[in-house]
Amino acid sequence: MEKWLGALGLTLTVVLGWTLWDASVQEWQRYQGAYYHEAIRRAQKGAQKAWASNLRTEIKQLQLNGDTAVERCVTCHLGYDNPAFQSFIAPLRTHSAILKSHPVERFGCVVCHGGEGRSVTALEAHGEGEVAAKPLLRGKYMQAACYNCHREKTLPPQATASVVRGRQLVNRYMCLACHKINGEGGEEGPDLSTVGSQRSWTWIYAHTVRPQGVVAGSTMPVFPLKRDEIQAVTIYLTTLLDSRDRLRYLPLLAERVVRELPAEERLATLKSDDPEQLNIESQIAFGYDGKKLFHGVGCNICHTIDISGGEVGPALTYIGRKRNSENLSRLLKDPDEILPGGKMPQLYLNDLQVKALVRYLSERR
Amino acid sequence: MISDVYQKLSRGLLSARQLPGIFYRSVFRGSYPNTVRQQLAAVVNNLVLHVHPTRAYSRSIKLQTTFGLGLICLYLFIIEWITGIFLMFYYEPSTGAAYGRILDLNYTIMFGRVMRNLHRWAAEAMVVAVALHMCRVFYTGAYKPPREFNWVLGVILLVMTLALSFTGYLLPWDQLSFWAVTVGTNIVSYAPVLGPKVRFVLLGGDSVGSDALLRFYTLHVIAIPAIASLMINYHIWRVIKDGGLAHPFEKRAGADEAAAQPTRADSVVPTFPQVVYAELLVFLVVMIVLMAASLLFNAPLEEEANPFRPNNPSKAPWYFLGLQELVGYSAFWGGVGVPTFLMLYLLALPYFDRIPRGVGVWFSRDRMIMISVWTLILLGILVTTALGIYFRGPNWNFYWPWENWPGPH
Repeated sequence: MEKWLGALGLTLTVVLGWTLWDASVQEWQRYQGAYYHEAIRRAQKGAQKAWASNLRTEIKQLQLNGDTAVERCVTCHLGYDNPAFQSFIAPLRTHSAILKSHPVERFGCVVCHGGEGRSVTALEAHGEGEVAAKPLLRGKYMQAACYNCHREKTLPPQATASVVRGRQLVNRYMCLACHKINGEGGEEGPDLSTVGSQRSWTWIYAHTVRPQGVVAGSTMPVFPLKRDEIQAVTIYLTTLLDSRDRLRYLPLLAERVVRELPAEERLATLKSDDPEQLNIESQIAFGYDGKKLFHGVGCNICHTIDISGGEVGPALTYIGRKRNSENLSRLLKDPDEILPGGKMPQLYLNDLQVKALVRYLSERR
Repeated sequence: MISDVYQKLSRGLLSARQLPGIFYRSVFRGSYPNTVRQQLAAVVNNLVLHVHPTRAYSRSIKLQTTFGLGLICLYLFIIEWITGIFLMFYYEPSTGAAYGRILDLNYTIMFGRVMRNLHRWAAEAMVVAVALHMCRVFYTGAYKPPREFNWVLGVILLVMTLALSFTGYLLPWDQLSFWAVTVGTNIVSYAPVLGPKVRFVLLGGDSVGSDALLRFYTLHVIAIPAIASLMINYHIWRVIKDGGLAHPFEKRAGADEAAAQPTRADSVVPTFPQVVYAELLVFLVVMIVLMAASLLFNAPLEEEANPFRPNNPSKAPWYFLGLQELVGYSAFWGGVGVPTFLMLYLLALPYFDRIPRGVGVWFSRDRMIMISVWTLILLGILVTTALGIYFRGPNWNFYWPWENWPGPH
């Protein structure tokens, strides 16, 4: 009996040690470490050194809308306001100039990009893991986010071109014959007035390509749309939100806040072939798991691996035999190049995501 | 002068070396037991241990007698207390803030994810454990006199366990919580006359909202746990007063004295250390399994509750799905008739089955009718629950578990 107790006691100690390890290892610490290391390395003038010496490894968050909305994206995405990191790799790269008119301290990040603001792990924060938030809007799909607040008249035309085109296509193909949008339309199919809140854009895209592959037994016809037309329709449908999502994105204050780093805080721009950058890239690239991304990004909505997945595109169970890594990588970065006339969407993935997915897919043999 | 000071110092140092022993004896009111007499005294003199008898049948502590199920229920309850208090430091029972707090627990608070998972998995395990414990007590006939009232206490504890699980289910305020509680309280309202009133009291209103959340929170963190703690104390105390765990060769109070077996045909061991070791073993197994599960599997969390968009299908927590399945056939019989019958059956059982045969024996031949009836009812519950979990899809239509559900869901 004493032997049993000893053995089990030892096992419990091991399990408790595992708990301590699980609580102490945090993904975001590596990103912050890489950023601070790089920033300190290049700190030369006095003010930069003073700033560098005050850096702490901690979770950073923005509280918006009077503390009800909390966003922790800046825990990992640290270089967003530092011009020196313009050609750095994600997540430390400088944000585009739109931040001047949409400062992060007032708008946050989720209103434009989507995702789960409270999370501090990459997969869940990007809406790609076991989390309720939808996947990030990337590339052209971000037009749906602009449309939350702006309409065509208040933005340059290219900022809402896809939304407008999508609406025109919905009219041309008479979707309202079966679906209702904002009170008008038929009742054959479900009401689409809030479909942008109910479904991720990857789901809407997949369903538009081939409804039966996503919803078993669907009687919705397959429309003869080209890839960019499906993209436009998807972007338009993503703008249809319910009242809770619309109100959530309402910025409260009216004044403009413009933020520019003073000259002495600006560090020298790093070139993309700097060996230091390559070193940091290898440190950061650990976090992406191809299998989790396959579900998180939404590949499984159209494609099946083994027995689970959608039936819109071909099954990928043995894709590793058909395509090599280089081919897969080019396909994911630009589907139109490898599959002209096909329906696979441009997913606007970054290099690390593509690498992780290619690694996972080439092992499907 | 100096030699006086030196003498005082060295006396002080000597007692410093004896300090551990002095401290131990001050806490435990005696030395570590070496003789049998000291072992018996250690049990009687100890706050936690003295709820045990000083000796127990070695049969009682064998794994196959009880599988330690009662102990498992107790340990799970204690784990729920401790993890619950941890969670209470971070949770806010407000409809605007609750969901965000749960996310914060998962992502930013140290040990938050593990504690939340532990709380959830221990809760699910506790519902299973109390059901298994009840079945064990039934199948060994351990509800017969003089243990009738302890069985009744156990039934009350069963209801409290389900109530704790149900009230806790609402607190994350996600889609699953909101609609599961909506369905559950709707089933309550099917009772005649009092049903709708009870539903109003539970929800603090006509629908699940901020009043319901606060009410369920209060019930879940203090009202029901306080009463349940007292009931558990009473339940455990009654075990020793009723003569310990049921045993085939015990002298039964109130039974025919001539029929009682005069000889003790089983060996007896002192509680300290054998019973304590057995209980420690069960505790270690429970902790290891639960902690590993909490580290590996995350408690489910859907999107934030949206009163304008019901889940389809909206399912009650799994332990109520048997009832929900029956409600699908008849609102009255499923929601009121069957639960009332089951409650009355359970409460009245030890008062109409008092024949002192087959006590302490698994599946005794003398009790085959009672055992068959119980097993049939148990099978009915299992089948309806399994139907509700695996075979029901949108609009409560029948689907095989491998069939895809159609439409958005």
